Amino acid sequence: MSKISDINLRNIPMKPYDMVREGLFVFLGISFIVLLLAAFWGFPGNKYGPLTIEQVAKRAPIAFLQRTVSYFSGTSRLQTYGPPYTDNFNHAQHIGPICPNCWVGVIYPLNAKVDFVMQPLEQISTMDPAVARALSRYNLADKNIQDQWVKNYTDALARAQVVGGKVILPKGNYGPVPTLMDGMLTFARTGLLEAALTFNVNPRMAPYETNYTWPLLYLGGHIMSTVAGHFDEKGGEWGMSHIAGPYPGAWWLAPYTFLYQIPAIGNSNSGDLIAFVIFAIMMLTAIFLPIIPGLNRLPYFIPVYRVIWRDWYAKYPSGVVHTSKKE
Amino acid sequence: MNIDKAIQRFLRAYLPLKDDLPTEMPAYVNSFGYFFGTMTLSSLAVVFMSGFVLAFFGPDWYHFSSVGRFVNAVHFWGVEIFYLCVILHINFKFFTAAWRGNRFRTWVNGWIIFSLTIFSGISGTLLQANWDSQWNSQQGKAAFNAIGISWMNWMNYTTVLTLHVVVFAGLILFFVITHLAFVRSESPVHPIVDEHAEEMYSEAMAEIEGEKK
Repeated sequence: MSKISDINLRNIPMKPYDMVREGLFVFLGISFIVLLLAAFWGFPGNKYGPLTIEQVAKRAPIAFLQRTVSYFSGTSRLQTYGPPYTDNFNHAQHIGPICPNCWVGVIYPLNAKVDFVMQPLEQISTMDPAVARALSRYNLADKNIQDQWVKNYTDALARAQVVGGKVILPKGNYGPVPTLMDGMLTFARTGLLEAALTFNVNPRMAPYETNYTWPLLYLGGHIMSTVAGHFDEKGGEWGMSHIAGPYPGAWWLAPYTFLYQIPAIGNSNSGDLIAFVIFAIMMLTAIFLPIIPGLNRLPYFIPVYRVIWRDWYAKYPSGVVHTSKKE
Repeated sequence: MNIDKAIQRFLRAYLPLKDDLPTEMPAYVNSFGYFFGTMTLSSLAVVFMSGFVLAFFGPDWYHFSSVGRFVNAVHFWGVEIFYLCVILHINFKFFTAAWRGNRFRTWVNGWIIFSLTIFSGISGTLLQANWDSQWNSQQGKAAFNAIGISWMNWMNYTTVLTLHVVVFAGLILFFVITHLAFVRSESPVHPIVDEHAEEMYSEAMAEIEGEKK
């Protein structure tokens, strides 16, 4: 045996064993259970596919337009998110001077007005002259007038109605904004907006681009939050530790997601950082438990080991094999 | 110095064949709890094997064909069972204070594997290409950004896929191999010694010795 085993197993009675045979039996047993679960329940995540921009544009056109115009007006939360997208460092999560997000900085700069709306509009303009004219009129207008049109349009959306798939606004002074937003809506309904957003991340990578940051962020905020609320998947509802529907997910993250159920953490602007620091301390405590005085004595006080090794203790009450008792 | 000879000497001293493929075990290895480690390893093997098949045929296959969906389901349930087994295994090792006798490195090594599997699991969730991965990428971005790992762009599919199937899987494999090597080299931990009973035994023995004299 190895040098270490020689020392550890001195005077210890041994019994015959076949590791590979035991391993094979256990492997077969586990495989059977997994195959049974897979055959019976399948992959539960297949039930709810991704939420597409097309679906939202068709089923909830006003929500789509509200999100789109918020990017267009620069009022979305994403446009002041902070690193890694914008330079609003005051919005980065921090505990006192500790701000890992600030240290990494703005590595994926995002200008949501340009990247999410103006660029697609320019692409739509090449196919739709009405949108081209509206875009040109918007670009030539004074900044104050642009802002007034967008503000009027945003306010009017709250009172808009959907008739036969068309969004009908009350009469008002919106300039070319409705044409632009309708252009985005029509484009989104074709299912091509995700592709355009992905392409625009880096056109030089055109057929190979797999950076889906922009299309994934597009529906963020109220829209995705509403859907997540429907599935009880928000942070305050144990977030990642379960999946949509009555199925287990990453339940092993429960000690982590539990932290978000504490209002002081869940409602904090730096909740993610606080939760992570606490979780990291929990993990480090577990890792270094063997050398933490007191904690490393816990198994001695909780006599589960007595049950585990009951046969051994029945033979050797103190746990030690004395040579006189050696088998 | 002959490197091959040095490795041979090292393996003979710390990982001889007798330990790699043991034909005997200490008598105290006599509890169902000793299966938890093998169960963990077995479920991990199921996860790796199903992942291997998924890698070959790709997302359209495993989301839209019946066989592909089944293999995807095996991968998913394999992970669920893996965590059940690993948590049982960790508890068993805790209650037996399995870090005793210079086995602290094995304990730490195990926690490294566990931590890696968490990241592997999260990256796997993000690769499911369904509502959950979409929502978790939104939720997760806040957490990843907050702790300063936004540089690993979790919304770039290629990045996440590579992290999942190469980096995390490779690191897990490496640390599992070292874990097994440590375990086999050290032999199973000895039952906890009841110091009080041991003291009484010593006293009794001393008394007997005294009477003999």
